[in-house]
Amino acid sequence: MQDIDVLIEHRVTQIDPQEKRIEVIDLSKSETQCFSYDKLIIATGGRSRRLNLPGSNAMNIFTLKDIQDGIRIKTYIDETRPKRVSVLGGGFIGLEMCEAFRSRGIETFLFCRRDLPAGNLEREISERILKELQESGVHFLPNQEPVAFHLNGHGEVTSVETTKGEYSTDMVLMAIGVVPNVEMAREAGIELGKTGAIRTDFSQKTNLKDIYTAGDCCEVFNLISQDWVHTPLGDIANKQGRVAGENAAGGKATFHGVVGSAAFKVFELEVAFTGLGFQVAKRYGFDAESQMIEAESKVGYMPGSKRMLIKLIFDQRNGRLLGAQMAGKEGVARRINALAVALHQKMTIDEISRLDFAYAPPFSAPLDPILIAAEQAGKKLHQERVHGDKS
Amino acid sequence: MPRKEKLLIIGGSAAGPSAAARAKRVNPELEVTLFEQGRFISYGS
Repeated sequence: MQDIDVLIEHRVTQIDPQEKRIEVIDLSKSETQCFSYDKLIIATGGRSRRLNLPGSNAMNIFTLKDIQDGIRIKTYIDETRPKRVSVLGGGFIGLEMCEAFRSRGIETFLFCRRDLPAGNLEREISERILKELQESGVHFLPNQEPVAFHLNGHGEVTSVETTKGEYSTDMVLMAIGVVPNVEMAREAGIELGKTGAIRTDFSQKTNLKDIYTAGDCCEVFNLISQDWVHTPLGDIANKQGRVAGENAAGGKATFHGVVGSAAFKVFELEVAFTGLGFQVAKRYGFDAESQMIEAESKVGYMPGSKRMLIKLIFDQRNGRLLGAQMAGKEGVARRINALAVALHQKMTIDEISRLDFAYAPPFSAPLDPILIAAEQAGKKLHQERVHGDKS
Repeated sequence: MPRKEKLLIIGGSAAGPSAAARAKRVNPELEVTLFEQGRFISYGS
């Protein structure tokens, strides 16, 4: 970056939109200073949600949001050599950290509120994730929530008490979600959306003149549900940031929104999704139906071919794709992008089944798994239409 | 000469640095200052 003043260890404590200035504490010197602005961008991000339970401020209960948290966790492991870790929450961060802890040889216990990890995904995908966790030696403890942490005389957690039992542990990672950092903006009179994140528009403006917002602190438009949602992900933050920056500098950029694509890896398993899940699609009023298939990642005779799951969610009224989820040990994370494009273009199941994808035996079967899934979904769609006509 | 226009950015993870870089590219005359409460920037992008 060129000629940009970057002030680290400086915490902004107040925004004064009338005087167009902000109050900043230099944390290294504990000095407060005011800076005036013509344009302001609020990119305050999010923070890890924390449970407020007895003992939850123990020094070995961690959250993971930024590099400093990562360094803290790594240092604690290096210095104290924990034998057992309890991970609370089966989302991306919890799952990725299960892999990280196992790679350090730590016995890992994953606690989930629901009966499966990654509870926001389709059941079949979550079941596949659970199988991968169990094959990798993670102890899965479903259907329970922590109620207290028990500490020793040094203020270290030694066990987690849940609604189902008490489990001894040498450290805890809370990975139960992200809260947008909006308090300072709200105090300045900036409007929040119904998600609790900062309300914005397609040019990343807030309701206050000359103040823009971007990233995990604000909402983003979902192109499938046509709703403003809170989707705290780094790639979205980056794109919103570019738009906010361009407009604050006098440009006319637009951030059109997202279809809701993401991917992660749990041990050897790739998981990827785009668009809406079945239940969410129903909730938004779509006449949702789904089709799940299993297919090989390559032609069967090629060494290293792996099974993958694909679930397509589509609207029975017009055959339009609403979402897709995939899991498998090869060729998953990149393959989902074809379906993200299909979502952007509002393509139907039939249109997807006719796509001309590249083929060679090392990369897929002559019919790519996506084409097989779309064809099967099409059969279901047309059967239901015939049935519907009769009734 | 007119006073240079000032852009302040609160937050240095993913969105803040992207915004700073783009703003400076669009208008090199802009005075851009980015505030980050931690010790690192661009750790999330």
